[in-house]
Amino acid sequence: MFRKLFLVGLLVLAIGIVPALAQTTTVRYFTFSAAPDHLEDLDTIIAAFEEANPDVNVEVETAPFADYFTLLQADIVSGDAPDVFELNYENFVTYAANGTMLDLSSYLDAAAPFYPRALEAFQYEGVQLALPATFSTVLMFYNADLFDAAGIDYPTVDWTWDDVHIAATAIRALGDDTWGVYSGVQFWEFYKKAAQNGECQFFNEDMTESTINSQACVDTLNMMTSFMTDGLMPTAAQLSGVSDGDLFASGKLGMIVTGIWMIPAFSEAPFNWDVEVEPMINQHANHFFANGVAVSATTSVPEAAAAWAQFLASSEVAANVRVESSWELPALNEPAYFESYLSQTPPANRAAVFTALENPVTPPVIVRQSEMQDTVNALITRVVDGEITAQEALDQAKVELDALIAP
Amino acid sequence: MNLSRSPSLPIRTNTSTPARISVRRVLLYAVMIALVAIMVIPFAWMLSTSLKAQQYILETPPRLFPNPLTMESYTGLAERIDLARVVFNSGFVAIATTIGQIVISAMAAYAFARLQWRGRNLVFTLYLATMMVPSVVMVIPQFILIRQLGWVNTYTALIVPSLFNAFGTFLLRQSFLGLPKDFEEAAFVDGANPFTIFFRIMLPLNMPAIATLTVLSFMGSWNSYLFPLFVARKEEVITLPVALGVLQAGPRALTEWNLVMAGAVITVLPILIVYLLAQKWFVQGVVSSGIKG
Repeated sequence: MFRKLFLVGLLVLAIGIVPALAQTTTVRYFTFSAAPDHLEDLDTIIAAFEEANPDVNVEVETAPFADYFTLLQADIVSGDAPDVFELNYENFVTYAANGTMLDLSSYLDAAAPFYPRALEAFQYEGVQLALPATFSTVLMFYNADLFDAAGIDYPTVDWTWDDVHIAATAIRALGDDTWGVYSGVQFWEFYKKAAQNGECQFFNEDMTESTINSQACVDTLNMMTSFMTDGLMPTAAQLSGVSDGDLFASGKLGMIVTGIWMIPAFSEAPFNWDVEVEPMINQHANHFFANGVAVSATTSVPEAAAAWAQFLASSEVAANVRVESSWELPALNEPAYFESYLSQTPPANRAAVFTALENPVTPPVIVRQSEMQDTVNALITRVVDGEITAQEALDQAKVELDALIAP
Repeated sequence: MNLSRSPSLPIRTNTSTPARISVRRVLLYAVMIALVAIMVIPFAWMLSTSLKAQQYILETPPRLFPNPLTMESYTGLAERIDLARVVFNSGFVAIATTIGQIVISAMAAYAFARLQWRGRNLVFTLYLATMMVPSVVMVIPQFILIRQLGWVNTYTALIVPSLFNAFGTFLLRQSFLGLPKDFEEAAFVDGANPFTIFFRIMLPLNMPAIATLTVLSFMGSWNSYLFPLFVARKEEVITLPVALGVLQAGPRALTEWNLVMAGAVITVLPILIVYLLAQKWFVQGVVSSGIKG
C-alpha cells in the first residue's frame, strides 16, 4: 500500500520536475531582412542553432523595413527590447550612443572569421556592440542589350564619369522613353563621389572647419547633376513614382549605380545585364555598407542571446544559407563561401563586388551626424530642382556645417 | 434638383421641353459618369494590376486590360504569406471588435441618451473629448500598457483597445435621442424595465444607426495598420494589412506591385460584402444621424 503510494508520489514528482528541468531559454529575435522572402532560410538557420543548443528556443518577430526602426525604438522605450535585433550600419551609432546594446567582447569567439573591417564597423568607442552579419557595396549595373543597340562598348574598370556621359548620350538617343544613366544625387552619393575626386573633403584635417565649398567639391556636385541637366537621367518628376530600380528592370535604363542587394531583384530581367565597378573621377572609391546583429543591454538571457547573434553572424550554416539564397553576403573572410557566390550568374562579372571593396569609403562622421545629412541633402535637393547653383548650395552648407561642429 | 419637378413633366408640352430635358439629362449623366469614373478607376487599376505579370506592370503606355491575363500574383502572394491564417486573423479580430463595439457603444449611448444620473453630461463631454486626441498620439502609451499587461502577440491586444469607441457612442446616442419618448413611455406603462426597453424598443428601432456603426467599425478594424503593426509581430496573430506591408520593399529591393495589388483586392472584398449587405440601412443611418464616416 505504502509502496504504491510512494510510487504514485514519485510519478507525480517526475511529471512536475521533468518539464521544469527541460525548460528552455527563449530568445526573441527581431529582424527586418527576413520577411517575406527569407523566412524559410531563417528557419533553416534557427533549426541548426537549436540543434546545437537544445536548451535555447529562438522566437522570430518581423516587421517591414519602413516601420522596423519605429517599432524597435518603441520596444526599447517600453523597457522590453527584443533580446537580439538586427540593425544597419547607418543606425548603429545612434543606438550605440544611447547605451541600448550589450558589450559582446566577452562573448565573442576569437576564431570567428569576421572581416576585420566589418567587425570594426560595429565597434563604438572601442567596444564591440554588434556583430557584422552581412555586408554590401554599390556597383554600376548596365543593360548590355541597350549598349549593343547603341553600338557602344561595355563599361570597364577604367571608366571615368566622362565615359559614362558619352555612353549615356548614345543610349538616350535610342528613344524618348529610354534613359542613359541613373546615379542618385544625395548625401551618400556625394561623399563617395567626393572621395572619387580625391580633392574634395567635407572638413579640414583637424575638424575645425568645413571645406565643403572648395572648388573640387563644387565640380563634383556639378558633375553629379550634369546627367540630369543634360537630359540623360530622369528627374523625380519624370520618374513620377517609378523607382530607379523599376526603370532599370523594365529595360528602359542603360546604367544604374545601385547596391548589390538589387542583384536578386534584377535576376529575372528579360534582357542581358552585367555589373562593373563604379566609374571614377580621379580615383576609385566605393561604398561599404553592413548590417549587424546586436544583443539588447537589458536582456535577461545574455549568454543565449549572444550565442544566437554569433551563430547568425558567423556560423557556416548561416553563411551557406545566405549565399545560396542570395540573401546578402556574410561578412566573413572565408573564400570557400564566396566560391559559390561568384559562380552564380547573372551578373557574369560578380567578382566586381570584391574589386569594389578594395577601395572602401565610409561617410564623414560628426557628433551631429543626422543634422549634417539633412542639411546637405536639403541643399543638394535645391540644386537638383534648379533653385540655386552648386556653388551657392555648398557655400551655404559650409556655414551650416561650421555651426554644427562649433564647440 | 430637377427630381422634384419631374412629376409635372409629362403634363407640359411635348414639343420644346423634351429637347431641353434631354440636354440637361445628358449633362447630368455626363457629370455622374465622370464622378463614378473617378471613384471606380483606382479600383479597376488595382484589379488590372493584380492580373498582370510582373514585367508588364510598368510598361508604357500603360494598359487597363491585362494582356496576357495571369493569376500568378495571387499564387505568388499565397507562397509568400500564409493567406488563410492572416485572413482568419483579420476577420476574427474585425468581427470580435465590431460586436464588442456595438454592444458597448449601444449600452453607453442608451445611458447617455435616456437614463438620468448625476454627472451624465460631464462624463459624456469627457468621453467625447477623447475624440479630439489624435489616435497616433496614443499608440506608444497604449503599446507600453499592452507590453506591461503581457498581451503582445495576442488577439486580446488587437481587440480590447478598440472596443471603446467614443464616435460609435456619439452616433448611437444621437440616433436614440431622435426617437420619440412615447415608445418607451408606452412600454414603461406596460411594465417594461430599462433593460427590456433597451433590447425590445431602442435596439430594433435604431437598426439603421447600428448598421452604419457595423460597417464603420468593421472597416476601421479590418483596415487598421499602425496599432496591429506594433502589437502583432508573429505569424500566428499578424493581420492582413500588416502582412501586406512586408510586400512593400524598402529601398533595397523592388516592390512587386502585382502582389501588393492582389493583396489589396483580397483586402477590399470583405468590406464590399459588408457594405452591400448593410447598404440599405447604411445610407439611411448616415442621413438620419447627419454624420459621415
